[in-house]
Amino acid sequence: MGAQFVFFVSAMVALAMLVAFAILLLRRWYQERRKRAEKDNLTAITRSYMRRVSGQADNEASAKWSDELKLEAVSHIHLLLRGGERQRLMQMAELDGLLRATLRKSESWRSARRIDAIRLLQQFGSEACIARLREIFARDRNKAVRLEAAFALAAVHALPPPRETIRILGMFERKINRLDKALFRASAPHYSEELALLLEDDISHDHRALIIDALGWSEDPDVLPLLRKASRMNHAELRSAALRAAGQLGVPTVEPWVLERLRDPVEFVRIQAVNCCAALGLHGAIPHLRLLLEDEAFWVRLRAEHALEVLEEQWPDHEQPRLRA
Amino acid sequence: MTWADLQLAAANAVLFLAFGCFLVVAARNGISLLQLIVAGWVFATRTKPGRNAVELWNRYGDLAFPVSVIAPAFNEELSIVDSVKALLALEYPHHEVIVVNDGSKDDTLGALIRGFEMEPYEREQIAELQTTKILGTYRSRRFPNLFVVDKENGRKADAANAGIGFARTPLVCVIDADSIIERDGLLRAAEPFMHDDGRLIAVGGTIRIANGCEIEGGALRKIGVDKKLVPRFQVVEYLRAFLSSRVANAHTDTLLLISGAFGMFRRDVLIEIGGYRHDTVGEDLELVVRMHRYMLEQKRDYAIKFVPDIVCWTEAPVNLAGIKGQRSRWQQGALETLQRHRRMIFNPRYGRIGMIGMPQLILEDIIGPPAEVIGYLVVPAAVLLGILDPMMALAFLGVTVLFGTGLSFGSLVLEEIQLRRLQSARDLYRIGEAALLENFGFRQMNLIYRLRGIRSFWRNDTKWEAVPRIGFDQAS
Repeated sequence: MGAQFVFFVSAMVALAMLVAFAILLLRRWYQERRKRAEKDNLTAITRSYMRRVSGQADNEASAKWSDELKLEAVSHIHLLLRGGERQRLMQMAELDGLLRATLRKSESWRSARRIDAIRLLQQFGSEACIARLREIFARDRNKAVRLEAAFALAAVHALPPPRETIRILGMFERKINRLDKALFRASAPHYSEELALLLEDDISHDHRALIIDALGWSEDPDVLPLLRKASRMNHAELRSAALRAAGQLGVPTVEPWVLERLRDPVEFVRIQAVNCCAALGLHGAIPHLRLLLEDEAFWVRLRAEHALEVLEEQWPDHEQPRLRA
Repeated sequence: MTWADLQLAAANAVLFLAFGCFLVVAARNGISLLQLIVAGWVFATRTKPGRNAVELWNRYGDLAFPVSVIAPAFNEELSIVDSVKALLALEYPHHEVIVVNDGSKDDTLGALIRGFEMEPYEREQIAELQTTKILGTYRSRRFPNLFVVDKENGRKADAANAGIGFARTPLVCVIDADSIIERDGLLRAAEPFMHDDGRLIAVGGTIRIANGCEIEGGALRKIGVDKKLVPRFQVVEYLRAFLSSRVANAHTDTLLLISGAFGMFRRDVLIEIGGYRHDTVGEDLELVVRMHRYMLEQKRDYAIKFVPDIVCWTEAPVNLAGIKGQRSRWQQGALETLQRHRRMIFNPRYGRIGMIGMPQLILEDIIGPPAEVIGYLVVPAAVLLGILDPMMALAFLGVTVLFGTGLSFGSLVLEEIQLRRLQSARDLYRIGEAALLENFGFRQMNLIYRLRGIRSFWRNDTKWEAVPRIGFDQAS
């Protein structure tokens, strides 16, 4: 009886898998047969949209074209268009009802499907899409989906103020990762004042460092006094973040306090200071960097050597033989 | 003891053996089925990767950890320039390629020097993990991110160690020189590090068979399927191993193997544990097991992950002679690792690795292969002698051949639904055909080769059998 059962179960497993495979094989074969016709349709849809975008009459449109195929064509064309043309294309896609299916998909019970929908909404980027993205960002039950929505909002420059982002994603209640850094950096050009205000809150050094780092992406020279202040704080991570931000901002007036940090007692702060000198092309740093070629820390020597290579290329009159790291 | 007693004892022994083998094979298949179900769940609930690397690049470009790709090369004169060009062309914001010429007997070094205008360059080695002598180091005048280490021959583990010692980036990606990395493979493999809060120490990815594919200039041009059956059988095996077993193991935090053809690691952890071991033929398995052991003994929070997307393509042996050496070596390597880390087995101190991962390895690599081979001999013999119900023989056939076929088709279903990298229905059919046929001969031959690996282990055989490959130009 037992042996019979085992044989039966084995046979059933094999049969079930074989049937599933056969169905998929047939589906693939059928899709391949239709490929030619679909390709022709896709070309026609693309042509039709291109005509409409450029304001020409479109006599080719067919009611037989599926929304799925139209969406595929729009996804492809939108990568090729810029500015007003892209906006018009997205408007037309919305008017053609292509957004409806995506909005429906964004309410799916499966988080993977909702994430797929978010990517499409980001592509469309219209006001309706942004509104839906905000809703998902604020209310979705899954953290990964909310994070995806946050990135989509950042990509369309519609990320909410940092305090909201922090609250919704629970950023300050867990360890920071590089994605948090990316989000903060993305929001910095729009919310540099809010970020500066956040620094006044009672938050951990790691979170403070995250904000200081993001200020470097603000494109706002008004944050420089904050960075200078941070570069003299007790916590090494804050000094390091200030140097990273200064390097990114690209304003050479930071030279005095960046050079100061080349003598910082903490190795990774010195490394950041060296990187900052190279990024800003600080001519005055060359003699200091030469001294760092004999720093006790290997990584400092290495970065100093690299920075000197960069700077000496920019300022060839300083060319001198130097030690290897 | 009478003759009848002896006969009874012999019959009981045969029965015991038959049932034992049956149970072992059934347990192996039960685990494989569970893995397939878990992998199905993981695939169904995972976020599919973006359509192309551009999305990843846009998002992570300035946040991606710099990576050193370490490519040990031995006698690769004919293909090394193309391979390195393909590595330099990988889509990644900051990567360096470190080629380690492992005492090649041909002109691999000369080809590199001529191909990339290499010049001698002194660079300090951060950690000396290799046991052989470094003969020279070179940098390219044309490609600032290419560095070549020339050393005495010491096998792949030693060459990889030399490269790791010279790496200066937080992540290192150790590959085989003839591995063909997907253009966005580095980005895909590095993606989990972006989500990481400092726990992640290693990431593996799916590797596929390149035989039958169109390869040009060291890069994959068109995915295809080899006409020969042996490479196709291996495609099925790789699908089963990567899409089912490793996905499930990674999901349950019991991943013990990151293939030597492509693995991304945190450099500092590799250096802390001393890099690859030189005295084993299964250095990739041993490294990951040792990483687990080290982190658990240090009571450090860590994670090892696996990305189901294809990151790399590799050339498989085209005939049974090539497979014989490869499988024996894999088997021997697994046994060496189990012996070296035996105190982890069923040891609760090592958590899931000790209680699930290592026992699973025992079932797969110590008990499993001999049990199935013995079963093939004993079960029919017992039926012929009239001491076993013929239905039992059918059940054994069921759990080996039928169940095995089902599992192979299950992995193919996952591939078609989730990855869909086979180019046509015809290719899919040809792999399906191989999934069916591999259970009639190939599977059994494989078991014999594994028994050969067990023999090499007992003999403490340290000989390295190179796997004969014909090269991509001829293969494609």
